[in-house]
Amino acid sequence: MKFFNDIIQCFVNGKYLTSIFEGLKLTLIISVGAAIVGLLLGTIVALVEISNNKSKWMIIPRTICNLYITIIRGTPMALQLFIMAFVIFAIRGFPLEITAILSFGINSGAYVAENIRGGILSVDIGQTEAGRALGLSGGTTMFRIVIPQAIKNVIPSIGNEMIALIKETSIVSMIGMYDLTAAAKDVGSGQNLASYIAPMTVAALFYLAIVYALTFIVKIIERRLRSGDKR
Amino acid sequence: MISVKNIYKNFGDKKTGEISVLRGISCDIKRGERVVIIGPSGSGKSTFLRCMNLLEEPTYGEVWLDGRLVTPPDPYLHPAVMKVSKTFEKLSKANPNATEQELIALIKKDDLLTKREGKAYKKVMQKVENKYGIDINIARQRMGMVFQHFNLFNNLTIMQNLTLAPVQLHLKTKEEAEAKATELLHRIGLYDKKDEYPSKLSGGQKQRIAIIRALAMDPDVMLFDEPTSALDPEMVGEVLDLIRQLANEGMTMVIVTHEMGFAKEVATRVIFVDGGYIKEEATPEEFFENPKNERLKEFLSKVL
Repeated sequence: MKFFNDIIQCFVNGKYLTSIFEGLKLTLIISVGAAIVGLLLGTIVALVEISNNKSKWMIIPRTICNLYITIIRGTPMALQLFIMAFVIFAIRGFPLEITAILSFGINSGAYVAENIRGGILSVDIGQTEAGRALGLSGGTTMFRIVIPQAIKNVIPSIGNEMIALIKETSIVSMIGMYDLTAAAKDVGSGQNLASYIAPMTVAALFYLAIVYALTFIVKIIERRLRSGDKR
Repeated sequence: MISVKNIYKNFGDKKTGEISVLRGISCDIKRGERVVIIGPSGSGKSTFLRCMNLLEEPTYGEVWLDGRLVTPPDPYLHPAVMKVSKTFEKLSKANPNATEQELIALIKKDDLLTKREGKAYKKVMQKVENKYGIDINIARQRMGMVFQHFNLFNNLTIMQNLTLAPVQLHLKTKEEAEAKATELLHRIGLYDKKDEYPSKLSGGQKQRIAIIRALAMDPDVMLFDEPTSALDPEMVGEVLDLIRQLANEGMTMVIVTHEMGFAKEVATRVIFVDGGYIKEEATPEEFFENPKNERLKEFLSKVL
C-alpha cells in the first residue's frame, strides 16, 4: 500500500508536485524546441542532398551535409550532448536549455534528413518528369508536386523520430538539468520519499501520455493527408 | 520544326561500362507532320523521343526547335568551334601537312575533344549558345509530352492537374486556364471528374486527361511515349480515338507506339529504329507494303 500512498503523495505534496511539473516543463521545452530545430535542419539537409544541381560549388554544401549526417548518426547522443555542453557552449552563463535544444535538434535533424530524403525518393520519378515536361522549373516541380506527395510518405517515420526524440531528452540530467527523469529521481531520493518506485512510475506515465498524444496527432494528420487516396 | 542532329546517348560512365542506346540519329520533323517511331524493345525509340525535350540529355548531338538550340551546343557539329580548341592546335602541330578538314575529321572520328580546351574555345561555345540557345523550360512549354504511365499529379485534382502549369508559368490567368480546361474536359466527356483525384480514374481516363493536360499548354508539337502500352485492351480505343482527333486537326506529333494499325492510319511518315540507328524511314504505305531493311521485314513479320 506504500506504493499507492507514495503515488498519491507525488500529486498531493506541493513540493513533489512542483518538482515533477518543473521537470515536465523542461522536458516539453527541450522536446518542442529540438523538434522544430530538427525538422528545419532535416528539411534543408535533405534538399541539399537531393538537389541535382551540377555546378561545382554545390559540392561544398553537399560534403558538409554528408559529413554532418555521418558524424551525428555515428556517435552517441550522450557524447554529443557533453561536447555541446562542456566544449562548444562551455561559456559561463550560457543557458543550458539552448544547449540542450541545439544538441537534440542537431541530432534529430540528421535522422529527419534521411527520412525526408527517403520520402522524396519514394515519389515516382514520373511525377518529376511530367512536371518538367510541362516546362515547370525544377524548384516548382519539387515544391508543388513532389514534396506534397513526399510529406504523406514521411509523416509516419517523422512521428517515430519525434517520439524517439522526446524519450531521448531524458539524458539531459547527465549535464545537470532538471527534466522529468531528474525530477523523478529527486522526488524518490533519501531526503524526499526515500522510494523510487512511485515517482518513477509517475514519470513513466507522463512520458507515456506525451507519446500517446503525439501518436494521436500524427494519426490525425496522416488521415487528413490521405483523404485523396484510395488506400 | 524539330530538328535532331546526329544524337548519341550513352548510359553509365566510362569507368563502369557504357551502354550506347542511340548511335547517331538525325531526323527533321516539319510542322503538320505525324511521325510514328516503331522498333523492338530496347531499340532506343523511347530514348530518342525523350531526347527531343531533353528528359534525357543526349551525350552528343543537338536538338533544334524552330531554329533555336534546345541542347547545349555540340562542338563536333561546329567546325568553327573545333578549330579554336587546344586539341586542334596540338594536332596541327603534329601533322603540319594535313588540311583543316582532315584534322577536323580526325577529331570527330576519335572523339578527341576533352573538357579542357582553353579560353578561346569556351568563348566560341558560349557565343554559339547565346546566339541560338533557348531556355529548356520555354522549349518544353511548346512540346507537349504524354507518358506511358500517364504521370498525372497524384496530389492534385483533375482541374488542378490541368491548370497548374499554365498558371504557374503565367501563360494564362487562373480563369482563362480553368475555362480552357473546362472546354477540354467537355471535349473528352470527363467534365464530371474535374474535382476527383487521379487515383479514382481508370487507365484510359487518366491517359486522356494526361493528353489534354499537355494540350492545355497550347503546344506546337505533341510527343507520345507509348501512350497505350500500359492500358487494358478495352481502353486502348478511347485513347487512340483522341489522338486520331488531334491528328485530324493538324497537330504536329511524334508517336512512339506498338500499335501498327494505328501507325499505318495516322502517320505521314514512319521511322524504324533498331540498335540505336534509324534503319528505315518512309511513308506508311511504302513502309508496311514494301519494307527494304531486312531487320524491319523480320520485325513486321512478327508483329503484323
